[in-house]
Amino acid sequence: MADDKPDIARWVDEGAKAIGLPIAPEYREKVIVNVERSLAIAGPLLALELDDELTPLPVYRP
Amino acid sequence: MSDPLSKAATASEIARAVMSGKVKASAVIDAALRRIAAAEPAVNAFTDIVADRSRKRAAEIDAGRHLGPLMGVPFAVKNLFDIEGLATRAGSKINVDGPRASRDGALVRKLEAAGAILVGGLNMGEYAYDFTGENAHYGPSRNPHDPTRMTGGSSGGSGAAVAAGEVPLALGSDTNGSIRVPASLCGLFGLKPTYGRLSRAGSFPFVDAFDHLGPLARSTEDLALSFDAMQGWDPDDPVCTDRDIESTVPTLHEGIGGLRIAVAGDYFAKGGEPECFEAVATVAKALGASKTVVLPHAAAARSAAYVITAIEGAQLHLPRLRTRPQDFDSDTRERFMAGALLPGSWYVKAQRFRRQYRAEVLKLFNEVDIILAPATPCSAPRLGQVMMSIGGVELPVRANLGLFTQPISFIGLPVVAVPVRKSGALPIGVQVIARPYSEAAALRVAAYLEKQGTCVSEPA
Repeated sequence: MADDKPDIARWVDEGAKAIGLPIAPEYREKVIVNVERSLAIAGPLLALELDDELTPLPVYRP
Repeated sequence: MSDPLSKAATASEIARAVMSGKVKASAVIDAALRRIAAAEPAVNAFTDIVADRSRKRAAEIDAGRHLGPLMGVPFAVKNLFDIEGLATRAGSKINVDGPRASRDGALVRKLEAAGAILVGGLNMGEYAYDFTGENAHYGPSRNPHDPTRMTGGSSGGSGAAVAAGEVPLALGSDTNGSIRVPASLCGLFGLKPTYGRLSRAGSFPFVDAFDHLGPLARSTEDLALSFDAMQGWDPDDPVCTDRDIESTVPTLHEGIGGLRIAVAGDYFAKGGEPECFEAVATVAKALGASKTVVLPHAAAARSAAYVITAIEGAQLHLPRLRTRPQDFDSDTRERFMAGALLPGSWYVKAQRFRRQYRAEVLKLFNEVDIILAPATPCSAPRLGQVMMSIGGVELPVRANLGLFTQPISFIGLPVVAVPVRKSGALPIGVQVIARPYSEAAALRVAAYLEKQGTCVSEPA
């Protein structure tokens, strides 16, 4: 399923344009690495299925 | 009882000595300033020293003003706390160009109202996005127990200053572990209170959803004394609770009778070096804790804390990332930039999941009162170390020192980090976790461990 993997370099280039964040060439590689890392760390959260009724707490109280 | 002018003196010992007239506050401050001057070349804990202000304050105390339970106690604060007349660096170069603080942060004011004396601002990882204590602008804070190693961060200067005996008490902030990680690596007691318990007014934010402030010290009594002095509703922090103050000093030495204590299993029992699990076992044995509980979905909690942090932190700094990227620390810049590019759907999912996870973990507190977990997956890494081997797997140091702290602060539970140190080894911490607003119970457990000699903090 290699084709399903996102093209992170493109994600970074296009995303940065969309939000108006100039990323100088000397920073670009590290930004890509960090988006890749974020994708990996987010994995367990993204794999969860949540009930439709589960809304965020409007006022968070521990 | 330590000499109140020595580096071993705790805040409570100093306060007792000043109150009883055995020593002048001025002498305490002079001794602290001398220790700071002597230790700084090795540990690099301070970025700002307010010597004149502290001497003036000490003279006022010696003249009979500012009575309180922390009378004459020198303390310092992570440099994201406002200090009147100084720029609030928050570990950055950029903020130095900003306005000077017009008044002290709320907790600085509260500690001074209790008689303590601010001596300076402390080094930290840039904008608190850090677990190492390293900083490209101001140099790394260095671990007093081995200056070739990290203090942990982001409250690295807070860890170094207290572990070196420069001051007995420091304040830090903890969003994902930034009090508990340096407490662990520097061998200190650290308190991350319940989310919303202490006012964050007059401190530079990082991730509003998880930002907490709290103390680091070498004794549990010092944590309790300072925590009690800092409690109370503050309309300047919308998250600050309006619950009544719950003093922890009166019950500190009540022991552990009646407390059901368990060890966190599953996620918290793997992914670390043997020393972190040995420390938990040592503490569990001293407490007679044999039960194990599982915090369900802890791995997802860590993911969600990471996502919320990355996105909120990036959003906060986006204007500066656009205009002054060259002035960021190269260890935070690209992480902030990456955070700005993560999907909003991740953020909302993480917030929705937080509600579920909170309910799941609070349910565990029907069965137990205290949960023990490692504070860090290893003892202090070497300065500059980028990767570390955890259980044979190579992982980035920066992202992983907070593996065990993130799933706890994610839902705002109170934690006391307690130090364990085997002879000849570096210290490492254990998290003593309680239900929301039960700081008193976690402090009681920590005080019991301290009294038994299981958890002892001594200056390097």
